[in-house]
Amino acid sequence: MLGTQIKDVILKPDAPSSLLLDKHADYIAAYGSKKDDYEYTLSEYLRMSGIYWGLTVMDLMGQLDRMNLQEIIDFIKACQHDCGGFSASIGHDPHLLYTLSAVQILCLYDSLHAIDVDKVVEYVKGLQQEDGSFAGDKWGEIDTRFSFCAVATLALLGKMEMINVDRAVEFVLSCMNFDGGFGCRPGSESHAGQIYCCTGFLSLTGQLHQLNADLLGWWLCERQLPSGGLNGRPEKLPDVCYSWWVLASLKIIGRIHWIDKSRLRQFILACQDEETGGFADRPGDMVDPFHTLFGVAGLSLLGEEQVKAVNPVLCMPEDVLQRIGLQPDLLS
Amino acid sequence: MFLSQLPVLSKSALLLSGSDPPRDEIGLIPCPEARYNRSPIVMVENKLGVESWCVKFLLPYVHNKLLLYRQRRLWLDRQALVDITCTLLLLNPDLTTAWNVRKELVECGALSPERDLYLGKLALSKSPKSPETWIHRRWVLLHLLQKAPPADQNQTDAERSRLLGEQLAQTLQQEMKVCADAACRYPSNYNAWSHRIWVLQRLAKGNVKVFLDELSSMRPWVSAHVSDHSGFHYRQFLLQELTGALAPPAGCSSNGERSAVEEPPHDLPAVQQLFCHELELVSDLIRSFPGHETLWSHRRHVFFLWHRWKEQHPGDGGDEGGDPAEGAQTRLSQTSAGVPMEVERGCSSDPQDIKRLRRGVPLPQPPTSQTEHVFVSGLLDGCGPEQRSFALAYRKWLDTVVGVPS
Repeated sequence: MLGTQIKDVILKPDAPSSLLLDKHADYIAAYGSKKDDYEYTLSEYLRMSGIYWGLTVMDLMGQLDRMNLQEIIDFIKACQHDCGGFSASIGHDPHLLYTLSAVQILCLYDSLHAIDVDKVVEYVKGLQQEDGSFAGDKWGEIDTRFSFCAVATLALLGKMEMINVDRAVEFVLSCMNFDGGFGCRPGSESHAGQIYCCTGFLSLTGQLHQLNADLLGWWLCERQLPSGGLNGRPEKLPDVCYSWWVLASLKIIGRIHWIDKSRLRQFILACQDEETGGFADRPGDMVDPFHTLFGVAGLSLLGEEQVKAVNPVLCMPEDVLQRIGLQPDLLS
Repeated sequence: MFLSQLPVLSKSALLLSGSDPPRDEIGLIPCPEARYNRSPIVMVENKLGVESWCVKFLLPYVHNKLLLYRQRRLWLDRQALVDITCTLLLLNPDLTTAWNVRKELVECGALSPERDLYLGKLALSKSPKSPETWIHRRWVLLHLLQKAPPADQNQTDAERSRLLGEQLAQTLQQEMKVCADAACRYPSNYNAWSHRIWVLQRLAKGNVKVFLDELSSMRPWVSAHVSDHSGFHYRQFLLQELTGALAPPAGCSSNGERSAVEEPPHDLPAVQQLFCHELELVSDLIRSFPGHETLWSHRRHVFFLWHRWKEQHPGDGGDEGGDPAEGAQTRLSQTSAGVPMEVERGCSSDPQDIKRLRRGVPLPQPPTSQTEHVFVSGLLDGCGPEQRSFALAYRKWLDTVVGVPS
């Protein structure tokens, strides 16, 4: 009888095995400098998040000063709409996702004064529904990701009390599945990305005790594959962004030691591109800023000394949060 | 030649996409350079193709136009907006703002929801995961549901109700098809399956017949896609809904409200049969396809649902005597209260199901932690290393999570 091939990648012996920080910094600094690029236009619909990914990884690598602060602040200001929400780019429609990214960027630069903070709070508050859930924008899509975006935004602004926190918690808990994980809505499949959002949410709202940490921790550490990489659900391929979603969740619930750290580190390093700099989702694929951030942030959680400490709840440098005075709960 | 021809190009792309018979698929034809001085739009049977070289000119042009409109720096009439958003979304279906413009067009009646759903279906043929396409689809469906059909003086209330029911049924079928196609195009397509669940939660709440039909029609699909975790999760969702509808926890009626007066509907043998049937399916698949984590994950879910349900119904179920199949037949042939909806299925329910129900075949032994341990032990002899490690993990899960040690 033939053995089954577990869905996984095989790391080549000549895969990168050391952290190429300078190459990554050069990659991010140059990204988007050719704004006519077709690929760049295609991704404009998420530009604010793209900027957040780039700036955060640069800050983690101690290279934030290579980026153009004033240009970015002006861009962000131009993206705030009358309703208070932010769009991904100029001319696009506002949304909670890009509102969070905008606030995160302004925190990195200690520049919250550049925008109308009260209006942001009003926007977020207005998106909460009767059942405690949050819509992503005025069109009404409900997803636990948006619950996270809402409380993270308000936590950074110090205005969490402006929403009905108890109701919001009730809704997120209604999305908890029997395996300890969370999906996007009640009854949805557990997914590592949604789990990150929900554990982050529960941390920010002081409700981590509502989790079954052992059960969830077990589900999360079962994401680790023979290659050392992590996937997001059973029988999916490993992806470096799950080195963030899964690892950060484990850190928040105090079970990061349940993962084989050295094999994960080896996988993450193998996802680097030695020529172009940056990280790809898995070894050999095309790099992008998204996977670059989560590769570096994952390494930081694993204790990488060349990188600043990253906060597992907000995916921002710890020193930025210390400056704001925000220390979300973690389980031990 | 090119810049002057862009408006013509974008128009021709949509004329073709909106044509009759409708195109059912759209794709990019890898063609890095313009070979001849002709249109890059290609048509073969019902498939619309766009040669890739023109896209890098077309997209920024229409993209820019839409954003100028959004910033009120450019006026565009409704038809132009329909055209431009169509072109953009066929090339970049995650462009949320373009979908939002279409929502506004639907709201003011300049665009029919059906036409918009059709564009979404086309976009999904090329980008089966596209989150924004699924999100927009849900808005359109809600809009359709909330919009009352025009009152016809000649219709009776009963007829209106029947027509509404038919329309709902049609919409439901259409959505099941769109989800099924997308699920085939991308393995473990979370967005397609979570949309499918959303549709049932909205359009088929408590409708036992629909849930049973879905469970039955998905059987061959999951058997052919044993790594598809989302497909199996869908079955867990169906089982959970069915147990809720057929035999809710003591003290609740099927719509979840406390009913002190009414006897809640209780079809315990049917529930037991559902779980036995499902465990049989997953056992067969585990044996036929060793080493698939998805199958073991499904087993955990199914056994857990069963175990929890048994705890909520102590002393009930098929371990007592009597003909359990009789009760099952009466209940399963009814639809639930609410909009009566006969859903026509292309493929019939599993004939085995129906035969068993009618013949009054005695139910197999109800599953227990002990029978589960026996199943695991039976497999451990002579299995490969992957199967072994999943089997042992399942055993550990039984001991720790369910709590009855081996």
